[in-house]
Amino acid sequence: MGNTKKTSLNIIIVGCGKVGVALVEQLIREGHDITVIDSDSQRIQEITSTYDIMGMAGNGASYSVQMEAGIEDCDLLIAVTGSDELNLLCCTVAKRVGDCAAIARVRNPDYSKESGYLREKLGLALIINPDLEAAKEAARILSLPTALNVDSFAHGLAELISFTIPEDNMLNGMSLIELSSKVPSDILICAVERGEEVHIPSGNFILRSGDNVSFTATRATARKFLKQVGFVVNQAKSVMIIGGGKTAYYLAKQLLNSGVAVKIIESDRARCEELSILLPKAVIINGDGTNEDLLHEEGIANMGGFVPLTGIDEENIVLTLFANRVSKAKVITKIDRITFKKVISSLNLGSVMYPHYITSEAIIAYVRAKKDSMGSNIETLNHMFDQRVEAIEFRVDERCAVTDIPLKNLELKKELLIACINRKGAIIIPSGQDCIKVGDTVIIVTAHTGFNDIENILR
Amino acid sequence: MNGSIIRYILGQVLKIEGAFMAIPIITAVCYGEFEGFYYVAVSAVCLILGILMTLKKPKSNTFYLKEGCITTSLCWIFLSFFGCLPFIFSGEIPSFTDAVFETVSGFTTTGASILSNVEALSHCSLLWRSFTHWIGGMGVLVFLLAIVPLNGGSHINLMRAESPGPVVGKLVPKLRHTARILYIIYLILTVIQFILLVAGKMPVFDALSTTFGTAGTGGFGIKTDSIGGYSPYIQWVVTVFMLLFGVNFNAYYFILYRHFKKAFSMEEVRAYFIIVVTAVGIIMVDVVNRFSSFWEALRHSAFQVASIITTTGYTTTDFNAWSQTSRLIIVMLMFVGACAGSTGGGIKVSRFVVVVKTVFKELGSYIHPKSIRKIKFDGKPVEHDVVRSINVYFITFIIIFGISIFLVSLEGKDLVTSFTAVSATINNIGPGLEGVGPTGNFGGLSNLSKWVLIFDMLAGRLELFPLLLLFHPAAWRDMFSRKRQ
Repeated sequence: MGNTKKTSLNIIIVGCGKVGVALVEQLIREGHDITVIDSDSQRIQEITSTYDIMGMAGNGASYSVQMEAGIEDCDLLIAVTGSDELNLLCCTVAKRVGDCAAIARVRNPDYSKESGYLREKLGLALIINPDLEAAKEAARILSLPTALNVDSFAHGLAELISFTIPEDNMLNGMSLIELSSKVPSDILICAVERGEEVHIPSGNFILRSGDNVSFTATRATARKFLKQVGFVVNQAKSVMIIGGGKTAYYLAKQLLNSGVAVKIIESDRARCEELSILLPKAVIINGDGTNEDLLHEEGIANMGGFVPLTGIDEENIVLTLFANRVSKAKVITKIDRITFKKVISSLNLGSVMYPHYITSEAIIAYVRAKKDSMGSNIETLNHMFDQRVEAIEFRVDERCAVTDIPLKNLELKKELLIACINRKGAIIIPSGQDCIKVGDTVIIVTAHTGFNDIENILR
Repeated sequence: MNGSIIRYILGQVLKIEGAFMAIPIITAVCYGEFEGFYYVAVSAVCLILGILMTLKKPKSNTFYLKEGCITTSLCWIFLSFFGCLPFIFSGEIPSFTDAVFETVSGFTTTGASILSNVEALSHCSLLWRSFTHWIGGMGVLVFLLAIVPLNGGSHINLMRAESPGPVVGKLVPKLRHTARILYIIYLILTVIQFILLVAGKMPVFDALSTTFGTAGTGGFGIKTDSIGGYSPYIQWVVTVFMLLFGVNFNAYYFILYRHFKKAFSMEEVRAYFIIVVTAVGIIMVDVVNRFSSFWEALRHSAFQVASIITTTGYTTTDFNAWSQTSRLIIVMLMFVGACAGSTGGGIKVSRFVVVVKTVFKELGSYIHPKSIRKIKFDGKPVEHDVVRSINVYFITFIIIFGISIFLVSLEGKDLVTSFTAVSATINNIGPGLEGVGPTGNFGGLSNLSKWVLIFDMLAGRLELFPLLLLFHPAAWRDMFSRKRQ
């Protein structure tokens, strides 16, 4: 059995919380062999009857438990328990015992500041911080309130932005060829979601109102383009955050750094005091964020942005619906649980972010890159439209079947688009004459899944 | 209730059965037997029906424990029904009840026969009978899981319903790979035994049927005197392999991957061998006078003990004629059965180990009423739920056992015959004592008793609950309320 070609990795996941389950769900779809460890045997029982994985009850940081879970043949250990310290210990033990790659979730801001140091000294492959990632995503969206979603590529040089076409917009009824002649701009529309379906559009695709459109561009051109087609592109100037958890802290910090006024409503007095020390420039309100009067009093009607970050999904959703009713603020809804997604998307909440998916995307990008790939490597991976479309950034390290050939001569798969090329910091929105060169990073948008090498784009 | 996936899996199982019938067909060709024709016909029917049923992919893959149990029970009923058709058509076993009895006895690896003269059967039918043991031993659904890609993790419910033992776990993360590893181990052991038997100058056909019967711990003999007529070497080989197939297959997996320490520290396997050695010892002392030499006594007692505890049911001598002590030990071994996760039947050694530990724990709690002690098995605490389910298993077993004896006793056979007839079928062994002993057969029973025993065999093989669920009204209410829409 050992000599068969290895297509799947042996992965151990410690901790079956919400992130753990989101990870299992995504990694199993990529065909890996997964063993989960959790101290709660009831939870193990449940997860093993739903997914095709092996479960073990026990302490994931213990040597003997890891041995029994097969750490010796393991390629990757991911520690996502609720405790940062336990996660780091799991990874440290795993590094010593199994010599496998290890990923830890670390949320505490105290460690998070030192994550680079920790990662290097403990020899970890990745330290992920879902709260920080969620905060980053929220900040990106708030800086461009028209957008439903903003993902960044090429270290922030290029962005993948999605937005909804309103009823009276000029884009309604326009084909993509018309669009490029009427609004000459260096952007590329790479995916359109219409109702239940997702299209990777060609030139004569006609846009309609209600479509969710994704395009790639640099930051500046994206704003210029959106302005040209009639959107307001100003950054939200004031943001109200409900709940003072870790995500709220990270988000407030980023917003304050870019000069946005931040108001945080938190019900726990002690936490309020902590926050006021950590974030001296923010306005900290001690009160119940779900109190309608308090929200009015604090001026929800005039806010540019509103981000409910309570720990309870239902509260976040109700707050979003309320904010949409009483103000024009850009609202971002954070949802922790990954069930009832269809119902949530039918509520028309606008921008919704799932921190657990953000986390698992980072891990899947790493896992795909770890699979033996020839001369190219995955830098980032983003899912769009309910995971039906993937945007993947590849770094091309060596000459291969796609380099130095004009794109129009490449035999590409259907439902696939080369959205953007980053050549030493210059962003190229490619046309048929461009070609991929060694050293580029290339962003691919595709309805296929499981790509782990740039050559996968060929038919 | 997800009816479409049940239909789909049933279709796949029929296809597999159709394909498996190639074995008797090939045999018929080799021996130039006309009966092969019936196998071709039934095989074709199975394949066509199977293909029709799997033509449409199931609407959804959702699959819960109740679907797992119902699918498993239905699969076994379907298998037995189609498997018995060639016997009826060829006229070798003309009665429908008898043919079903014989086939269920085959698939459930019981080995109880209604035939008084086995040697009259054609070669292809003999081999098919033995081969049903091999299929039933590891389980047809496990085979299905190994070869057909079924999406979703919930298919472990199929394996839970079919594989014996209180707790069914995986060896490796993917169910498909687990099923494959189990079948690979099964196949390797089967091949080794076959080679050893042929090396002992056993005719190829006899070696093949005997191997199938041993591997599945079934016990259909192709001779009226079972294994008694073969050389001591062959009897020893069969003894050893019966014992090997009664060991929890996890042990072989550990050995295969060189975790020897883990394999040899398995509590269940140790208990199993302790029971075997003790039983052989007592019977040896008891029967040594009946045989001409020490070695002959050892051979016969070891063979009988191995055969009964692994629920195979081969015999080399008529143990019905032994003293009461030895007969009692044989009956007791019937209930113990083999290890969980093996191909054997019975209540399973691991359940007994846990129950004995529960009893000691209970005793302890009389001395220290406030003490807290968890039962441990293989060094790990046993969840309360597992202990509870084992206890309920025992109770259910006794209830079914009682009702069955009552129904069988209606025809007026003596108590020993009725008792051992039920215990030999519900534990999937084969021969009982007195009227259904090694020299007798089940042919003399009434049709009612036969159907009761057919139920017992299926219930024993599927470990009671999957089959009982078929009789639970809620399992069906769903099915029909769906149709009405």
